[in-house]
Order: sequence, then C-alpha cells, then structure tokens
Amino acid sequence: MEKEELKKIIYELVEKSMGKKKLKQSDILKKVSKDHGVDKQEVKAALRELLDSGQLIFTYFGGSYVEIPPKE
Amino acid sequence: MSELPQRQTDIGPPHYSKFLPPVIKENYGKWKYHEILSAGVMVHVAESGAKIWSVRVASPRLVSTDFIRDICEIADKYCDGHLRFTTRHNVEFLVSDESKVEPLVNELKEKGYMIGGIGDRISNVVHTQGWVHCHSAATDASGLVKALMDELHEYFHTKELPAKVRLAVACCVNMCGAVHCSDIALVGVHKTPPRIEHDKVKNLCEIPSTVASCPTSAISPDPAKKSVKIKLEKCMYCGNCYSVCPAMPIADPKNDGVAIVVGGKVSNLRSNPMFSKLAVPWLPNNPPRWPEVVDAVKTILNAYIEGARKHERLGEWVERIGWEKFFKVTGLPFKMQHIDDFTFARETWRMAATFKW
Amino acid sequence: MSQKHETPLLDELEKGAFPSFVKEIKRAAEHSEYAQDLLGQLELSYKEKVTHWKHGGIVGVRGYGAGVIGRYSDVPDKFPGVAHFHTVRVNQPAGFFYTTDALREICDIWDKYGSRLTNMHGSTGDIILLGTKTENLEPVFAELSSRGWDLGGSGSAVRTPSCCVGPARCEWSCYDTLELTYQITQRFQDELHRPMFPYKFKFKMAGCAVDCIASIARADMSIIGTWKGNIQIDQEEVRNYAKNGMDIQAEIVDMCPTGCMSWDGNELKINDEDCNRCMHCIAKMTKALRQGEEKGATILLGSKAPIVTGALMSWVIVPFIKLEPPYEELFDLVERIWEFWDEHGKNRERVGELIERMGFPVFLKETGLEPHPAMVKEPRRDPFFFWSEEDIEK
Repeated sequence: MEKEELKKIIYELVEKSMGKKKLKQSDILKKVSKDHGVDKQEVKAALRELLDSGQLIFTYFGGSYVEIPPKE
Repeated sequence: MSELPQRQTDIGPPHYSKFLPPVIKENYGKWKYHEILSAGVMVHVAESGAKIWSVRVASPRLVSTDFIRDICEIADKYCDGHLRFTTRHNVEFLVSDESKVEPLVNELKEKGYMIGGIGDRISNVVHTQGWVHCHSAATDASGLVKALMDELHEYFHTKELPAKVRLAVACCVNMCGAVHCSDIALVGVHKTPPRIEHDKVKNLCEIPSTVASCPTSAISPDPAKKSVKIKLEKCMYCGNCYSVCPAMPIADPKNDGVAIVVGGKVSNLRSNPMFSKLAVPWLPNNPPRWPEVVDAVKTILNAYIEGARKHERLGEWVERIGWEKFFKVTGLPFKMQHIDDFTFARETWRMAATFKW
Repeated sequence: MSQKHETPLLDELEKGAFPSFVKEIKRAAEHSEYAQDLLGQLELSYKEKVTHWKHGGIVGVRGYGAGVIGRYSDVPDKFPGVAHFHTVRVNQPAGFFYTTDALREICDIWDKYGSRLTNMHGSTGDIILLGTKTENLEPVFAELSSRGWDLGGSGSAVRTPSCCVGPARCEWSCYDTLELTYQITQRFQDELHRPMFPYKFKFKMAGCAVDCIASIARADMSIIGTWKGNIQIDQEEVRNYAKNGMDIQAEIVDMCPTGCMSWDGNELKINDEDCNRCMHCIAKMTKALRQGEEKGATILLGSKAPIVTGALMSWVIVPFIKLEPPYEELFDLVERIWEFWDEHGKNRERVGELIERMGFPVFLKETGLEPHPAMVKEPRRDPFFFWSEEDIEK
C-alpha cells in the first residue's frame, strides 16, 4: 500500500475515535495492520510521518495516546 | 529572537566516557578496594595503585542553576572540572590529587556545604516533587525532607548508625522513587474518596477507562448523568481514577496527611530485599515543619539505634525482634489500618502460635 | 529583582542546618519570573495544604510523545509566571558523571528559556529542567539536541535507563553498567521517545547485589551483577581487619545468611558451594575479599510501586547471563518480553502485573525461557497445574 494512503487510513481512524476512545500507538498499529493486511512496521513508518509533521500528536492522560492536535 | 540551531532527534544522551576524569578512564573496571576516610570522604584504589578521592556533599535536589555553577567553580578548582551525582542526588567531587582533598574539604566547609552521607549514616533523602510540581501530591516532599533533615543532619555529617538508614518521601501513593523499599519512608495519603465533577466528566474522561482504573471495582458507569458513580465503602483513596480522569479530584486539605512505612531495603546483603511496612497510618499535614511526622520518625530511629546490632538494617532489626515488639519499643499505637486487607493480605497474617509478649 | 510575594511559611524552611530548597528557589527568583511566582504559589499550597497544579495536558516537542511533562497552575491569574510550568526531562549521561563545561552548557540554555530551577536528578535519573512555557519547548529542545543532549522518557514508553556508578568507580561491579545503560538507551530510542506500550517500562542496571540504583524495587527489568566461582580471600588482609578491631566472628561469620563461613582467629574459610552471593562479607571487608572470577548478571523482571494492585519486587527470569557488547542476547529477550506485553497487556498494566494475571509459566512459554529453580523461592503448594497437549496420552 502507498504510504500516503496508509497515512490517510491512520488519520481517519484517529479522527473517528476522537471523543469516544483514546487510541494508543499500539492500538493503531494492531488495527490498521489487521484490517488492511499491512506489516506493522509499515504502519509505524506512516504514523511516524504523521507525528513528525504535527498532523497527529502524542497526548498524555494517565497513559500515552495518539490524537489530533486541538485547534488553537 | 536569534536563529535557533538545527534540532536533532533520537541521538540519545552523550556517551559517559566524555565526562570521566582521566584517572577513571585509565582504571575503568580495574578498581581493587575502597576505604571510607570520614563521613564524606572515601578513596578508591586501583590495581595499578592509582587512587581517586570522592568528597560527598548534601543537596536539596531542587537546585538553581546558580547552585550548579557554584559547584562547577569548586570542581574546576580542585577536580580539573570533574564531578558527579550519586543515585541519591548527593554531589560528589572527584579528586585525583591527594594534596587537593583537604583544601577542597576546607573550602566546602567554609562555604557551608554539608559534607557526609557515606557509610553507616543517613544519605540524601530520595523524594518526589510534591506541591512544587505535582498535580496528585497529597503533601509536599521538599518541605518534609527539609524539616526531617534539619533534625537528623548529625547522622549525615557526623554520627554513625548501626547500618545505613535510607530515608525517602513520596507525595502520594504513586510513590515515584523507591519509597516502598526504604528503611523509613513518608508517603502522602488521602483519607476521603474522590469527588465527581459530573459536568466535566463527559468532556474530560473516558467512562470505560475510568471504571477500569479502580482496583477495588468501586467505580461504575452512571448512564443517566453520562458520568460515573462511586461505591464509597469500597474506595481505598488510591487516586488512580484521578490519574485517568481529571474530573475526579481527590485532594482534601483537611484529611490528606502523611503515613510512615518502615523496614524496607533493596540490597541483598545478609537478608533479601524487603518491602517497607506500615508503622503509622496517618499524621496531619502540618507545614512548614510537620512536627508530628518529624517526632514519629525520630522515635522510630531512636528505637532502632537503641536496639539494633551492628550492621543490622532497620528491617532486619524489626524482623529479629518481631513487629509486635516494634510497636512496644516505639510506643506507636497498633491500629486496624495496620492489618492488611488488600492484595497480599493473607501472606501477612500470623500463621503460627509463636509471638512475643 | 525583589521578591514579589510574601512567603512567611516558606521562609521558615530557609532556616536550619540542611541545604534549603527554598533558598534555591529564591536564588532563581532573583532573575526569573517563573521562580517568583513559584514561590507565591508554593506559599499558597503551604497555607491551604493542597496542590495548585492542574492535571496533565498536551505538550511536547514535535514528533516525540515523551520527555516533557505538561503542567499548568490552577491559579494562573494570581501567578501568571507559572501559568505554564512544564518540565523537560533531559537524558543524563550514564553514571551521572559530568564535566563542568557540560553542566554550564545546560545551565546557559535553561537560564535563557526556563525557570533556572532543576532537579539533579529526577527519581528515574533524568536531569529535570523544572518549569517553562509551551512556546519555549521547541527552542529548548533545539538548543539541547544540537549540542548532543536528548530528551528522556515519560508516559507509556521506555523510561530513561539508569545505573549505579559501576566499573567507573567501584570494585564490585560485575558488568559494565554504564556501557549497557548507554547501549540500551541508544538501541531503544524509538521506544523511549514515542510511547507504544500499555504503560511505562523501566530498566535499571546494578553492578552487584548491593543494588545502589534500587533496581529490584523500581525497574520493570532489573539487571543485577553477580558471579560464579569462589570468593577470593586475602588471608593477610583478613587478619589486618581483625587486628584493627573488627570482630570477624560476630560481624562477618555470624551474619552470613547461609552459614558458609568459619574463622579460627587466623584463617577465614568459606564453603562457596553454600554461598548465595549476598555481598555482606565482601562489602564489610573490601580489602580482604573479592568476588569470584566468572562475572555476569541475574535478570529480574516486574517491580513497581504500589499503584495499583500493590507493590511488586522484580523476580528472577534469567539466573545468569554474560553481559558483553553487543548484548544481542539481552536485546532479543527484551523484545520477546515486549511482544508478550503488547499482545496481552491492558491499558496501564505494568509487565509484572500482567505476568501475575496470566501466570509466570505462560510468560516463560511465550518468551521461550526455560524454568529453573532459581526463579522461585519454593515450588507451588497447590495441586492445580496445567498440562499441554503433548503431555497427554491419546
């Protein structure tokens, strides 16, 4: 799968669960890898780009999660 | 603002070898023995005969950059710019030239540093952030340490004890630091359940993870309020729910206080590592000097000094005389709270007919 | 600048013999608005007996999910200087050795962008830069990282590994705790900076059973140096200890937990077969006794503080391992443990709690470790044990 497509899938997964269930990095890796038959390392690389660019951020509330940054 | 340098990621810390004094580099892994020369000075001798002197001073751990610059200036003068910190946050000046040890000690004394902490003494107190920087603190940590050490400092710089006494302070039951395995430790505790701010729960908290966070299953969903409810009689005030749900504050100025646990150790010397056990379930938060807490610690320490054999850690002394004797010799009241009713309870009940009067 | 807030309660803690943290905050406050308002807010906490820090928050440096602890005041109108008061965790060099130049470099950066207050060090081992505002985080990180410093761990990540003074200045270190700490930290940079676990994971490297880093109490993986072979005795030095006043019978022989020693006033004998390597005799007679020659470590797993099902101490999972670079055997084991944890761990469940929940045998099977009597104090008492398919006659 193209990395850009994978990034879109990840972003949408995070977007959909916002406000319902906070996702941990490993939740994302497991789910995307299972649903789309992609190797976890590939998902991780795509997620890494989303985090490095700031489209997604890590948050902390008694545990570390991946979320969409709040709008200022 | 001036241009920022290019950031780098995942480079990790600098390699320690950049910071080692030459005598350490040359004798790395080839030390033969060491001797404690005084409360705050020891010498390590290498196979080669080379020596390094370490001069240890107390630190409040919460230090300004001015403090760091001051000790750097001293290390430049006597240690060719080399120093380290211990795992208990003391400062250690590393001297490779014997003739500089005494002048260093003199200058440190002159400037008011407290030299000591080596051998069978009280070393720096490992502690947490407290009200200085923590959202879940049930008490202050730095203040308790200061109040305690102002009374016990002689055991840092002069007097010897039967063995090392490791003190620690944790400002809540999360216990950052090895409080649960210290000779004498203070722990900030709550006595009342969290309060639920129902209007905030729906925005700030995930109901399932809040429910799951409770170790005694006291929390359940409250669908009508889109919030949670607490079975009060089941709550043991651990505050774990507050860690995952900020809308459940547990701090309660009237009822928060300090518990004292004793008899823990991490070393394997003689006896296996031991957990600390409850000596005093609650004393009031009484800043700035917490007199009730300081008095109780002194009572415990004095009983230990009185009763322990040489080399016996506090926990080893109590094991030898028995906990029933511990409460007798310290005069601390034994209460219902001392009897465990949590995860490891049964292991702690006396399954024998032998005990002392 | 002159002090902005009255602090009668804190002033009390400037008195007394032990070094004062209040004095330190006041020194910083001479040049720092943060420290000024920290004094004010802390005084309020002392008065009201309650913390004034708010819970959590979302701050960090770009791409990292660790190394910054977000902190906000709940009384920002009164104390605007600490409205944001985020902590930056800087990964310390192994063994806490510094040159004065290196320390001054960090001070310069912190004076420019932060509160001028630090913890040397935090409980886990990082250099703690205590308190700055959100917009300063990227500049602090750029200044630090461009000079070779990186952030430490926080959240559900590998926490900054730390170690005792080790072979740098101790004769008892059975492996190179500093080098292993450095190598573990480098190897797991991604796991340290980008939280991917159910909860935190701590490594602590102790060179011997004295465990100066308290690894057995507060590391998920505690690596404690030990040896095989006989304790080496210098009888002449033993006699010197006796001559200098040590009661060898009472202080050494009688305190040996295994009763494996004897002393006839001239010669110390050790039955090494019975020795459990507790280190008491070696620690008390540093000149006379030395550890056996085959050095390595015991790996223990699972310790944690009492939150939430009670405190655990680490227990033995590998009785003896040689620890020499490149440490591949150890790293492989770590990765197998993390796979097990990733597969079965619940949110906020430490690896020790998970193994308690699922059973030590399940853990051993899934990570490919062989059972060994050194892993237990005693075998089980109950008759309720599992068998697998291949044990059953069809």
